Amino acid sequence: MVSLLRNQKVRNALLQVLYVGSLAAMILACVMIARRNLAEQGITSGFDFLYKSTGWDVNFSLLPATANDPYWWFFLIGIVNTLFLGGTGLILATIVGTIVGLARTSANELARLLGRTYVDIFRNIPLILQVFFWYALITHLPTPRAAHEAFGMLLTSRGLYVPIPNVGGIAFAAAILAVIAAIALPLWLGRTSRLSQPFGERLGIQLASAATALATAAVILALGRLPDVPMLDFPALQGLNLQGGLRIPPEFSALAIAIAIYGGSYIAEIVRGGFKAVGKGQMEAAQSVGLSPWRVFTLVRLPLALRAMLPILANQYVWLMKATTMGIAVGFTDFFMIVALTINHSGQTLEAIGILMGGFLAINLSLAAVFNRINKAIALKGNQLRG
Amino acid sequence: MNSTLPSGPAVRIEGLDKYYGSFHALRTINLSVERGERIVICGPSGSGKSTLIRCVNRLEQHDGGRITVLGTELNDDVGNIDGIRREVGMVFQHFNLFPHMTVLENCMIAPMIVRKRPRAEAETTARRFLEKVRIPEQAMKFPGQLSGGQQQRVAIARALCMQPQIMLFDEPTSALDPEMIAEVLDVMVTLASEGMTMICVTHEMGFARRVADRVIFMDGGEIVEEAPPEAFFTSSRNERTRQFLSQVLGH
Repeated sequence: MVSLLRNQKVRNALLQVLYVGSLAAMILACVMIARRNLAEQGITSGFDFLYKSTGWDVNFSLLPATANDPYWWFFLIGIVNTLFLGGTGLILATIVGTIVGLARTSANELARLLGRTYVDIFRNIPLILQVFFWYALITHLPTPRAAHEAFGMLLTSRGLYVPIPNVGGIAFAAAILAVIAAIALPLWLGRTSRLSQPFGERLGIQLASAATALATAAVILALGRLPDVPMLDFPALQGLNLQGGLRIPPEFSALAIAIAIYGGSYIAEIVRGGFKAVGKGQMEAAQSVGLSPWRVFTLVRLPLALRAMLPILANQYVWLMKATTMGIAVGFTDFFMIVALTINHSGQTLEAIGILMGGFLAINLSLAAVFNRINKAIALKGNQLRG
Repeated sequence: MNSTLPSGPAVRIEGLDKYYGSFHALRTINLSVERGERIVICGPSGSGKSTLIRCVNRLEQHDGGRITVLGTELNDDVGNIDGIRREVGMVFQHFNLFPHMTVLENCMIAPMIVRKRPRAEAETTARRFLEKVRIPEQAMKFPGQLSGGQQQRVAIARALCMQPQIMLFDEPTSALDPEMIAEVLDVMVTLASEGMTMICVTHEMGFARRVADRVIFMDGGEIVEEAPPEAFFTSSRNERTRQFLSQVLGH
């Protein structure tokens, strides 16, 4: 018996059994305690509540919503809102970060100073303060009657009003898919045809595919157009309020701006690091064969910097996606706020939090998976040590 | 810059000065390289030899004096710089291949973009030069998948694909394992025998003896001695040259 315990394999197996066993016991205990407590409070656990109507409304939704809709539909609205806010925030943060990051690597001293100041300020102020700051600023914009107007958009204290096409919901969704295809297709073609197509022709094929996809989007929009109304629905003042168009509420704008500016300061550092990681030698070689500064940048510096940035960028994106839960601070109905409201109204705390956690896991794991795929696809082949 | 060039030296350097801050890296260098001439520049580390050849294609800016390459003066005129870079190929100590492009793409990109060659022609040229540096079978591989010697030969092919009139070599074998040095030097010898104008910074004294028309010895940012290889290696009377040679050839 003693000799058996001295056997390494037996020891390892025993430890495993002990570990898994105690974990299972803990989970079981938690479930039993929760069930007893819930029963005492008269709450029936389970997911039946998902099919009941909520009886409350949301202040912003991209999907049609009424108080009669069931909880599962509201969860979907929350996820779509979170994705919309997260997507907008990530894109804006990337644009801000790229500009500031490039400024920080610039040869111009003033640009470097501005970039550094930006990062120093916005990276060191808590995100929630920045959200409140932008929210306060936006809610102090002029009233609808004195709205700032530009390109058919109206900027007021009640939000940003943008024109929307008078198009059926399905056609609109299909058109958005076509626009996404117009961006994705050229990128994909660029990857798959790099060896078989010349640089010039490759660009032609990419442009043609993008044009085709955009044309498809236009056709879908034209076909899905609602009868007897103009193509675009412009917001306009009627009485004391604005009618028509899509209202982007101040909550959303404040969050998107805060995420863009705060996230941008982190992304700027990632961009700077990426460009610093590109060897001076590769750039000198590109210069020595006569490539222009612009070509050196687009063909050598940027592609190599992107490869250095991507893994860290993916990490940052996952982080920013989670930052959308700040929505609850200013009252934007993101996924987290919907779950919080659900808990208040239905008392189904464990189930609702379980759905929240599952939802965020699904969003962020998909995001990470996409980035891992891209990362793997463009990774430099072979050993990068020189000599 | 057109292809029918005026006669005169390939590279003429007159009174060249270069500073790094207060450090005087090159002191009044005068050097003329004829078309088809093979020059080897040697000297202890920090003597300014790399800086000198990097000035020839403006990877470094000179602070005083004149550099004229193939009849064009190298100054702040961007057109002149681009024109000269098109005609001057360079091979680096650390190869500096583009790691995200295949060997073939490395060789095709500049001819296609800078010289506006059609793809088919650029590929034919690239394959011809890969053949010449004896690695046609590696065309579809990435630089990271090749040995150092192979990478350096690709780097030579990449420069040759621009069909330059002058080639600069900046210590092309210094980062290589001993058994790979020969394969790179062989390619350089072939190139020399075909009449390419070459300026090589190298410590390969065997190569200098075999190929060079002139050997230039630099120390402390100055050209100390300039002589045909035979005279340079056997009958140099300069103290610094003799000391350097005894260190390089001593073992």
